[in-house]
Amino acid sequence: MSGRLLEVNQRKVWILEDGNGPPLLYLHGFADVHSVKENWLPFHERLFSHARVIAPAHPGCAQTEENWDVGSIEDVVFHYLEVVDALALKEFDLVGACVGGWIAAEIAVRHPEKIRKLALVGAAGLFVEGAPIGDVFMMAQPERGATYVGLRSMLFSHADLPKAVEFFPDGRGEIEDELRRYQMLRFSSRIGFQPPYFYNRSLKNRLHRILAPTLVVWGEDDHMVPLSHGETYARSIPKAQGIKIIKQAGHSVHVEAPDLASPIVSDFLTDR
Amino acid sequence: MAYPYLAKDFDEKYDSGWVTVPNSLWDNEQAKGLYQEYIDQLAYADGLGFDGSVLNEHHQNIYGLMPSPNLIAAALTQRTTRGKIVILGNLLPLHLNPMRMAEEYAMLDQMSNGRLIAGFAPGGGPETFNYDVPSATSREKFWEAVDLIVRAWTEDGPFAHEGRYYPLRYVNPWPKPLQKPLPPIWIPGSRSASTLVEVAKRGFSYFLSSRSHGGETHKAQQQFAEILAQHGDSYQPSRFGILMSAYVSDSDRQAREECEEGVWYFLKNCLKGHLRREGRQLTFGPGVPYIPAPAWREYLKGYKPGRPLLGDVANWEELDASQSIIVGSPETVYRRIWKIVEQSKAGNLLIQFHIGNLPAELTRKSTALFARKVAPALRDDSLRFFEKHFAVAAKEREAGALP
Repeated sequence: MSGRLLEVNQRKVWILEDGNGPPLLYLHGFADVHSVKENWLPFHERLFSHARVIAPAHPGCAQTEENWDVGSIEDVVFHYLEVVDALALKEFDLVGACVGGWIAAEIAVRHPEKIRKLALVGAAGLFVEGAPIGDVFMMAQPERGATYVGLRSMLFSHADLPKAVEFFPDGRGEIEDELRRYQMLRFSSRIGFQPPYFYNRSLKNRLHRILAPTLVVWGEDDHMVPLSHGETYARSIPKAQGIKIIKQAGHSVHVEAPDLASPIVSDFLTDR
Repeated sequence: MAYPYLAKDFDEKYDSGWVTVPNSLWDNEQAKGLYQEYIDQLAYADGLGFDGSVLNEHHQNIYGLMPSPNLIAAALTQRTTRGKIVILGNLLPLHLNPMRMAEEYAMLDQMSNGRLIAGFAPGGGPETFNYDVPSATSREKFWEAVDLIVRAWTEDGPFAHEGRYYPLRYVNPWPKPLQKPLPPIWIPGSRSASTLVEVAKRGFSYFLSSRSHGGETHKAQQQFAEILAQHGDSYQPSRFGILMSAYVSDSDRQAREECEEGVWYFLKNCLKGHLRREGRQLTFGPGVPYIPAPAWREYLKGYKPGRPLLGDVANWEELDASQSIIVGSPETVYRRIWKIVEQSKAGNLLIQFHIGNLPAELTRKSTALFARKVAPALRDDSLRFFEKHFAVAAKEREAGALP
């Protein structure tokens, strides 16, 4: 592991960085590096052969300092503009999952010139009538003592999937893993607990500003961000190359099906 | 103020008594006159000589039907003449503008001729979900609101408040409270050190919201006393309150027979979603992440997943051991509560007499027995005890501030 603390506008940001190639900024979701695992997932490792993957932890996640000024998606976007400057990235590939996908889309509509290619994986961020984003906070409350069946059902295709149980075990898991899960919920509660629930009603009509070729990847059985959100992204971003639906996978498609998801992303980024 | 008309199979059929409990279960036929009955019970208790009536705010649940305790308090100002009216408390982060609470409390203080005890609380997990209160900022928001209200009551307006959450150009409440400099302020908490510190800093009273008593209650009192000392203050029993339920009848056996159905209704139905591991636990958990990460790490170290909560007690003996619902003859109830007072050194006992679906006539009978046969001895003995241990208590006796 090659983690380090980056000083960004007087705050410390925890960053993992690995691989060779053009810079790729990865913004994490709930079942992910920084929000559960300390280290890279197989999904990321497969990108190392052709990209320099940089994964910052969101404010208050992992060892990134908590930022009490974060109260809206706008604050998070500005935080990441500072991160991008601190990393001296002029142009980069941007990949985001779930909440990270939302942040990625918001960065891309504001600074389309900075993004070489964009990949959204089960990205939150849109308001689609009749297809609300699931309440991850309610599901994160323990059931029947201390089981997290509801949370796993939301974030994966099935609650009893080994990967789901590994990432969100019943009872009390390793304290450091539990702490990362908690920090991610705390960070994301700042931008999605109250309305708008992980969406920005203005985002859809801004998506046309994105110049980068865009890949939209979704799990067929996403129980948190419905597939129609992915279809809306794919329809509204001018250079979106349709939507890649991964069969029998849920919201955390990068965890459930890295063998499929990772090559789709790397092929897209390398024009294979 | 529970909803007492749930069917016997409620616990089997429903996941929670809070937030998502279907309101189609409300039966207007049965519930006709329910609020009147509850108000009558409180007025009855006032007539029996209790020091005050305590009301609290909860939303979308069967445990407490008071989304607005201030409405019930308003009714009590017209039905009672002597006892305090304690609202514990208005849930400040749920309201758009805390000045509304400052205004309503000031009205209640005027309407009751200065009998208001003003409680404020940030709201727990269920309210967080009901009202979309983001947990991470709710404490900070809460204390800003409390300080704004205190300032509005004690400083002349109009003034501008340059707050982070509630910036206001014209703070100028009409009316102000009758009590000067301001009504007593009570803050409930569940032993979080940061709440105790904030309470101590401001000279408020602390009310422990835990329903079980024993070593933990004693520890809470010790901790509060230490924190008060660190702030140049000293512990007084009048600054500390605890919560319990009680049922009194002629004998221990009769008491248990009369209240047992109500007690189980309360434990299994009203506490489901709040203080039970069955169903979904809404009160505390990572989905309402209101404590900062370092404090969560400390919490995790002592966390025993699936440990039984009050509503999970398997039998009457376990319930007895929790010292949460005190049931028995006047002698038994006196003896057991006295032990809690001795251990906790709490000067304010908040006692719930209506338990679950306990019938109204039994509630009144128990309340009256308590007032006549338990309260006098508790008052006398605690005064003697407190005078011996706390210098200021004697002065408070003259002022009539102790129970």
